[in-house]
Amino acid sequence: MSVEDLPRKEVNVLKGHEGAVLAARFNGDGNYCLSCGKDRTIRLWNPHRGIHIKTYKSHGREVRDVHVTPDNSKLCSCGGDRQIFYWDVATGRVIRKFRGHDGEVNGVKFNEYSSVVVSAGYDQSLRAWDCRSHSTEPIQIIDTFADSVMSICLTKTEIIGGSVDGTVRTFDIRIGREISDNLGQPVNCVSMSNDGNCILAGCLDSTLRLLDRSTGELLQEYKGHTNKSYKLDCCLTNTDAHVTGGSEDGYIYFWDLVDASVVSRFRAHTSVVTSVSYHPKENCMVTSSVDGTIRVWKT
Amino acid sequence: MESDEDDFVFYGTPIEREDDVISRKKKAIAESSGQLRTLPAWKQEVRDDEGRRRFHGAFTGGYSAGYYNTVGSKEGWAPQSFKSSRKNRAEIKEQNILNFLDEDEKSELEGRFLGTTSQFDTFGFTAAEIARKQAETEQKQRPSVIPGPAPDEIVVPANESIGVKLLLKMGWSRGRTIKDSHSDALYDARRQARRAFLAFSSDDPKVKVSESESVQGDIENFPEEPVNDDAQISKSTPVYVLNPKQDLHGLGFDPYKHAPEFREKKRSRLANKGGLGFSRDSLFGLKSGKAAPGFGIGALEELDAEDEDVYATGYEFEDAYVQEVEEPSTLRLENPTKKEPKDQGDLPGFRVASNSDYKMERFEAPLIPKDFVPHHKFSGPLDLNRKSYEVTPPDTPPPEDGNLKLLIEGVANLVAKCGKLYEDLSREKNQSNPLFSFLSGGTGHEYYARKLWEAQQKHNDQTSQQLDGKMTPGLNKLTAESRGQILGEKPLEKSSQGPSSFVASTDIQLQFNLTDTFTKSTSVSELMNVEKPFKDDPAKQERFEQFLKEKYKGGLRSASSSLASDMSEAARAQERLSFEAAAEAIEKGRQGRGSKPLTPSAMDFIPGGVKQFTSGELEPKTNLQADDILRKKTYPKREEFQWRPSPLLCKRFDLIDPYMGKPPPAPRIRSKMDSLIFTSDSVKGIKMDDPVTSKKEISPLQQYTTEDITKNITENEPEGDVEVENIERPVDLYKAIFSDDSDDEGGDSGIGRVDNQEKKAEVANTALSRLIAGDFLESLGKELGIEVPPDMPYPTQKSKNIAPQKELVNEDTRIETLDSQNNEEISLNHDLRYGQHIAHEGGLSKGGTIHGNNRENSNVKTKGASTMSYKPGNHDYSSSSEEEKGRKRSSREKYDEHRKLKTPVTHRRDYSSSSSLEEEKSRKRSRHHRHKRRDAGSDSSSDDERRDRHSSRSKEKKGSSREKSRSEKHSKHRKHRKHESPDRHSRYSNEKDNSRSRSEKKRRE
Repeated sequence: MSVEDLPRKEVNVLKGHEGAVLAARFNGDGNYCLSCGKDRTIRLWNPHRGIHIKTYKSHGREVRDVHVTPDNSKLCSCGGDRQIFYWDVATGRVIRKFRGHDGEVNGVKFNEYSSVVVSAGYDQSLRAWDCRSHSTEPIQIIDTFADSVMSICLTKTEIIGGSVDGTVRTFDIRIGREISDNLGQPVNCVSMSNDGNCILAGCLDSTLRLLDRSTGELLQEYKGHTNKSYKLDCCLTNTDAHVTGGSEDGYIYFWDLVDASVVSRFRAHTSVVTSVSYHPKENCMVTSSVDGTIRVWKT
Repeated sequence: MESDEDDFVFYGTPIEREDDVISRKKKAIAESSGQLRTLPAWKQEVRDDEGRRRFHGAFTGGYSAGYYNTVGSKEGWAPQSFKSSRKNRAEIKEQNILNFLDEDEKSELEGRFLGTTSQFDTFGFTAAEIARKQAETEQKQRPSVIPGPAPDEIVVPANESIGVKLLLKMGWSRGRTIKDSHSDALYDARRQARRAFLAFSSDDPKVKVSESESVQGDIENFPEEPVNDDAQISKSTPVYVLNPKQDLHGLGFDPYKHAPEFREKKRSRLANKGGLGFSRDSLFGLKSGKAAPGFGIGALEELDAEDEDVYATGYEFEDAYVQEVEEPSTLRLENPTKKEPKDQGDLPGFRVASNSDYKMERFEAPLIPKDFVPHHKFSGPLDLNRKSYEVTPPDTPPPEDGNLKLLIEGVANLVAKCGKLYEDLSREKNQSNPLFSFLSGGTGHEYYARKLWEAQQKHNDQTSQQLDGKMTPGLNKLTAESRGQILGEKPLEKSSQGPSSFVASTDIQLQFNLTDTFTKSTSVSELMNVEKPFKDDPAKQERFEQFLKEKYKGGLRSASSSLASDMSEAARAQERLSFEAAAEAIEKGRQGRGSKPLTPSAMDFIPGGVKQFTSGELEPKTNLQADDILRKKTYPKREEFQWRPSPLLCKRFDLIDPYMGKPPPAPRIRSKMDSLIFTSDSVKGIKMDDPVTSKKEISPLQQYTTEDITKNITENEPEGDVEVENIERPVDLYKAIFSDDSDDEGGDSGIGRVDNQEKKAEVANTALSRLIAGDFLESLGKELGIEVPPDMPYPTQKSKNIAPQKELVNEDTRIETLDSQNNEEISLNHDLRYGQHIAHEGGLSKGGTIHGNNRENSNVKTKGASTMSYKPGNHDYSSSSEEEKGRKRSSREKYDEHRKLKTPVTHRRDYSSSSSLEEEKSRKRSRHHRHKRRDAGSDSSSDDERRDRHSSRSKEKKGSSREKSRSEKHSKHRKHRKHESPDRHSRYSNEKDNSRSRSEKKRRE
């Protein structure tokens, strides 16, 4: 993939959030995107046509993360109100609320079968919640983190969490092991490469670090952007050829995966770019920012 | 059934016979006249006015829908007896309408069947049907020569269908397609496309050429299209070509079946006979030729662009069978020979087939140039430039410029090592650089040539050595130092500094980095050159090199790998291990940046090995770099722990629980949730503050502790399997709680009970965390001899508690009988549990529990006062307790105080007041703890008591003293541990203890 194929052209600006947008995420097939923000709402968009489809209101505080099931039928979201909301997408109603975190919840993810929501909280724990039963108790609490868990990532068999204590911990359910990779720097965001072999960890020392999952080796470091105080997202492009992430100065950076050179950078927002999400198939990207907008980028 | 009667539905018309009706009527009249009325009620029958019986079934003892209810059988709806269809499942009878029709209905159906009248019989189906029927009937009437029904195909509709008539009127003639191909653009396009495709797929250049003008060609071909159209005749309607049998073979016999070539021959012969022009004229001619007498068995051929077999390979012989003579011939591409006329291009409307014939392609061998010498030379190998400098360059004085000299020397060495290629490369690269002008004949070139020659000489010596495979140490080899010298580095000063310091390892790292910057080769020899972990022992070093060689070579290791055959098996194994470790360490060092750190623990494996690594003095500049490397080396740091996913989580992830069937969850999973439940509110308040304070300590501690622990582990290597045991044992723990206790209940008194009790309660705690249920608590309480209902008066509880105490001494004495090692491990384990438990009791712990070897988290959150941690060493009991006697004493005092508070009667009150536990749940818990606590307290103090009771036992004293020391230790730790860093080992050793008491239990049984 050449640099020209990177989504650098702004196609749409999705406006509607009042206040900072904290996360923007494509759905499974990339046809829609979800955003959540400080205005306590979750919004569903069609980023390709620039249309706002639906707003989900129920959170009492800012919404920090949102995730949608692969079949697009359910949402989960979390935020400052210490709860995880389990939504029905079509009706916009909250099916269930999971309470139990002792602090703000930073991230949520569904598992592969959408049967479990795993949440990462400021209370230094990961919690797994059952969507199938009506139990209000978490299935499991993982509290080996020594500090706030910022981001979470699920595979078929693993739960991966990144924490401010500088660790990326992989909990392998299949073999019952916890693997802790200490990066020495607060980890803001963990995201998986599309081939599943690497973890990209965004650290608070303005560095993204690429880890080999099997060995824990540090494969590469990506620098150039600013990330010192905000929780910024980072991700790999769908071809795993580039690494992308936002910066606190409103720029978006693209790095070459292998040689870590900044392939492209441009000013995307007027303020901190909180979240980036790459389309699963096309060369398309959505970014969200504290300036209240979500922007859609294509080649 | 009764209700059914109301909406009874009649099917069909009732069968009535005249005489029947009459007789019945008469009867009815007669009966109604009154004579029957005299009958008893149960004999009377109700009849309608026609004399038929009115009520069936329900009124007469059985429902019958017999004749009068028109079911049609006498039995009515008698239930069919069940017949299992299991065996004859396969025979599903196909139902059709005839199965359900009566005879008369069938005959009726026969007469009138639905069909189109001949007038509208467009496709002639009806006509054909009628004709067939007629033929059938006729056949019945007059016997024919051929027996059996006439085959359908033979019978053709007798009259024209209206559609055919219409078409005929519109100018259509029989045997033609209806489609007008001339005006059909689509058809043309398709043809063209296919042709293009053919051309593409073909190898024939001729076709390729013609392809370009295909459009034009098509237009040109237009006039000939009718021919093509005629060729399509057989498409629309089957044309029955009669191939009269003219040979003398049997019916259906094909003499050429397995030898089609002969058929071809025969055909061509016939064709020749019949006239050349005949077969070549046109497609028509060809076709008719085929049908001509003599062929007999040829298939009707139609070769149209539409039908050209794209996939025809030329092997078409299988298809060339005889077609049944009677059968209408189908379209078939006969065989390649028939294409020949087309190949010549005289058939209008056709072009040359793309792949006319299968031809085995044979390529001529390439011509070998006359001056070719069958000897391969690699460009730029080491040997080559060796030869190129065969003539020794004159010894020239080095240039004045020291830097240039160094540079030249370095480059020369590198070139000698890496080959001429390197020289060329660097020359190219540094063309503009005046410094490198010596490469291309500038200043210093002579010197360079000389140096290069020298270096090559040296290098060749080396390589030849290597080739010999006799890697004897001490020979002239390129070591790190010498390379450094060559490259003009300051020689690293050797110092015999102590081993295993981080500095040392970084130095190695640096050296490697330096070497790595120039040469990336990982050849064994180099590896060996650079690292000599066993310098002091040449023999060993040799063996190590041998080992390395084999390791990097891969493949099977020679059995004779042990050069020192005089070594014992064990020694060899030991050495092997150390080699492995050393190699690994070296490897790691080589990997340089981004690799995992050279942890001291890894180096520790090498007995006396690391010491040999030299550490030099670093220049300040490189120091910075070293820092960076150090940082990178430390991070990322990978650790692995055991983690137990909950069964439900596994289920939800559709995975098999790795701990399935194994015991209650590893304690680590116990989260602060537990402590939330088990501690009172006030305690919680305290606890809340803790994380804040403790968190600050974490980061510096973390590093320290992890290292510490890894060290510990290595130290305790022989015990390495303990961890594994932990995983499996808890099953028995459960047993210990729930099954054993009943036996113990009445047993002997014992202070040793304390531990056991604690352990049980502890396990119970963990269990509780899983099933937080009231009744469970109750049962648990019973098991433990504790009254559970909160309102129960205390005294009973107390008395019960005392009893179980006794039995434990017994247990403890037995502990001693266990083999010492095992014993110790286990007891350690126990201690740990205890510690944790206490943490709970104090209400100060956050309950973070860590499992496995190196988890600091567990205690991180506990408040210092209540954290317990023990060193996992075996000698803890004896040695540490003695060492810390002073501290112990103070703690002991405190403990005694504590005990005083807990006199039996006030026990409860005291406890609750101290921790202000008032909640129901927490009270329950507190009772446990209190109970345990008291036991713990009493056990140390009540030595005398014990002795009295069990003086007869020989081992008892030992046991109790041991017990005592342990409890003392507990108290001590309770005291002073607060100052220490949280020790992850606590959990670890705890486990051991637990399992020990369990195994002891088993023993008893």
